[in-house]
Amino acid sequence: MSLLEINGLTKHFGGLAAVQKVSLAIDLGEIVSLIGPNGAGKTTIFNLLSGVYLPDEGEIRLDGEDLVGHRPFEICRKGVGRTFQIMQPFPHMTVLENVVTSGLFGQVPRVPMRMAEGEARELCRWVGLGEKTGVYPRNLPVADQKRIEIARALAVKPKLLLLDEVMSGLTPTETSEAIKLVRQLRERGITIFLIEHVMKVVMDISDRVVVLHHGEKISEGPPGQVAHDRRVIEAYLGEQIENSGE
Amino acid sequence: MNRSFSWKKALFIVLLLLFALWFPRLVDAYFLHLAVTFFLAMILASSWDILARTGQVSVGQAALFGIGAYTAALLFKWVHLSPVLGMLAGGVVSVVVAALLGYLTLRLRGIYFSITTIAFAEALSVIWLMTPAVTGGAMGLSTPPLFGGDRQQAYYLILGILIFCIGVVWMIEASRLNFAFTAVRENEEVANVMGINPTRYKVLAFMISAFFTGFAGGFYSHYNTYIIPYEVFGLGISIACLVMPIFGGLYTIAGPLIGTMIVKVIEEYLRVTVSYGHQIAYGLILILVVLFMPDGVMGIWRNKVLPLFRTVSR
Amino acid sequence: MEWADFLQSFANGLLIAGLYAAVTLGLTLVLGVMGIVNFAHGEIVMLGAYNTFWLYTLLGIDPLLSIALSGLLLFFIGLFIYRFTIRPILNDPPLNQLLLTLGISIFLQNLAMILWKTDSRSVITSYSGMSLSLGVVNVGMTRLLTFLIAVGLTLFLLFFLYKARPGRAMRAVSENNTASWLIGINVQKTYLLAFGVACALAGAAGALVSTIMYTYPMVGFKLSLKAFCILVLGGLGNIPGALFGSLILGLTESFVGTYVPEGSGWAEGISFILIMIILIIKPTGLVGTRRE
Repeated sequence: MSLLEINGLTKHFGGLAAVQKVSLAIDLGEIVSLIGPNGAGKTTIFNLLSGVYLPDEGEIRLDGEDLVGHRPFEICRKGVGRTFQIMQPFPHMTVLENVVTSGLFGQVPRVPMRMAEGEARELCRWVGLGEKTGVYPRNLPVADQKRIEIARALAVKPKLLLLDEVMSGLTPTETSEAIKLVRQLRERGITIFLIEHVMKVVMDISDRVVVLHHGEKISEGPPGQVAHDRRVIEAYLGEQIENSGE
Repeated sequence: MNRSFSWKKALFIVLLLLFALWFPRLVDAYFLHLAVTFFLAMILASSWDILARTGQVSVGQAALFGIGAYTAALLFKWVHLSPVLGMLAGGVVSVVVAALLGYLTLRLRGIYFSITTIAFAEALSVIWLMTPAVTGGAMGLSTPPLFGGDRQQAYYLILGILIFCIGVVWMIEASRLNFAFTAVRENEEVANVMGINPTRYKVLAFMISAFFTGFAGGFYSHYNTYIIPYEVFGLGISIACLVMPIFGGLYTIAGPLIGTMIVKVIEEYLRVTVSYGHQIAYGLILILVVLFMPDGVMGIWRNKVLPLFRTVSR
Repeated sequence: MEWADFLQSFANGLLIAGLYAAVTLGLTLVLGVMGIVNFAHGEIVMLGAYNTFWLYTLLGIDPLLSIALSGLLLFFIGLFIYRFTIRPILNDPPLNQLLLTLGISIFLQNLAMILWKTDSRSVITSYSGMSLSLGVVNVGMTRLLTFLIAVGLTLFLLFFLYKARPGRAMRAVSENNTASWLIGINVQKTYLLAFGVACALAGAAGALVSTIMYTYPMVGFKLSLKAFCILVLGGLGNIPGALFGSLILGLTESFVGTYVPEGSGWAEGISFILIMIILIIKPTGLVGTRRE
């Protein structure tokens, strides 16, 4: 049995199908990337997985347990951690407080405050924010804010980590560090599902790649195979032609 | 957010407490009465702030105040319930109403929540006016003087509740509730994804806030000996509840208290100058705070005054 | 069921709906163009009402003629309010905007109390008592004139928004202010004008209010709540919605007043109860929002 199983997932927004009968499975310890042209429905899938949206049809199972219909905080406690594409740290909390918050509430069983603080400090140190725990997020550069997002998601001790475009906007050095970090996460036993646009990263890091286009899954497989899939190339090229304006 | 214990602060608080306990012996009836109204207002301000910490901006606290007031007054009228028990009952009934209202308004964001609270308070006012047989209607309800007119006892009672209220806020700030409330306020959706159940904390804040507001209403009805719907469900109360903490500094312990002190002093001064319309100060204060000092007095203290001390002591 | 009663009730509801629509037009405009709910809108109406009262009492100017004067006065007051209090907070979080306009509201309510005391004022004209018979229905002359003027104001606003350049700019800005700015519309000036026009409409509505209701400092607050009810009923920031909402509110109040025992007292609470019911069931209002 896979860690995550999605079957026939469908979501409409006012007549438009954002996600259409998407099925996939992710096994324990895998790193799977979700790619596709803009508007393909990737973040919608994440929102469906984390319980922010309710699917119109379909099943989502984590470790065999049905997630559909549960509220986001319940899904979090079942072991799903998530970052957001548009970074949203709590502005009036310091870096440490941001991480402590999810540590206090996202874990099952609950930990006392002292312990949550200790864990948060350790996490901050591990992602590279050890010196900055007392700083407010608005005073930090983009890469650090992404670190906050990751630390915050890790604080809930997830089985499955959903990373939404964490690599965008990073310098090459920062990108390498991030890739290293993601690999270390896998070594810690966390299964990773990431949305990415930066193809270099996708090719480098993924065990498997899933390609979404107009809400449908059009390809799936190891990075090398997907990269040569005609349908995938057409989807991206088609997008390019659309974007270059008629 | 984590509290650092300081001996200076502790000493200050102890001195303040001693002063407050000794106060009635120092002053005459007028100032004693003034102190009671100040403490009552501080309770309203602090309890409003508790609710505001979850991002729920109520412009209708008068609904809970009025329910507390009428609970106490009606229970006295029907079964001669002793005043203090009546006040407690007022608090409890308010909590129940708040729980209900809290659940119903969960999905309301920002302004819609505020508008609903205003509408609720006004609806109660109309209901009260239209059911004079039960509620006394526009003529209001009377109760005999609290503690037979002994202002000192009233003073100590309200002081005790105020200390209790402050204690509750302090405990919230020292506990994980603080993280939950702040997270829900700053970004409810993200908080949810991080494992925080917004419903539980929003309703909880509403209930805690309601207890004190309702108790204050109950106290008011006995202390004032006379209540009418227009007053206890009135916009004036709702506005007072929010102006004081906003002026003083939201999401702090001292903010609502300091804000109340200053605003109440201004209000008292105006009250003796003009017979109506003394709440004009409230309007001005709101405008000035939003335009020039959004973090209130505490914000100015933190950002402008404290740094001066730090550079001096270096 | 007595047909005569029903028709009379319907007519009354329709007529008062006209007044409510006039009151809500400005609020809708500001919400649509700038996305701000102006809690002080009712007080602007109140000022218009007092203005009309004083012009009538001191100078004998007929209230329905002084509509233009009230409108003009409040237009300039609106510009002033916008420039010094609204403009600075255009990009603030909605909470700040709520508190600011609430502050203006409280300020104006109390200012009125200080200046003019809390007594209720009436504007009684020579034709106040007159009524017209239309079949089985009796229609008060003032109410009828008020209704017709309210219709006129609505048509004027619609004409302005669709035919006049500044009005069309306002519509563009309410759809998408970045795009509007990019095509050369001066968004700041449009906001300023929109607020001024909204206050002018409120002032004119105030003149109408003074002839139908008592004028007193808190009348603005009462009207604000009715206006919020209408917004919630009809869609926030859209004019046909405001008209629809006004109709629903006016008719409901009227029917409750006629058919419910002691209805006139309960009718006052209709707007509050409607607000609560609608928002609790549909948190973004009955028709949903244009801007969200």
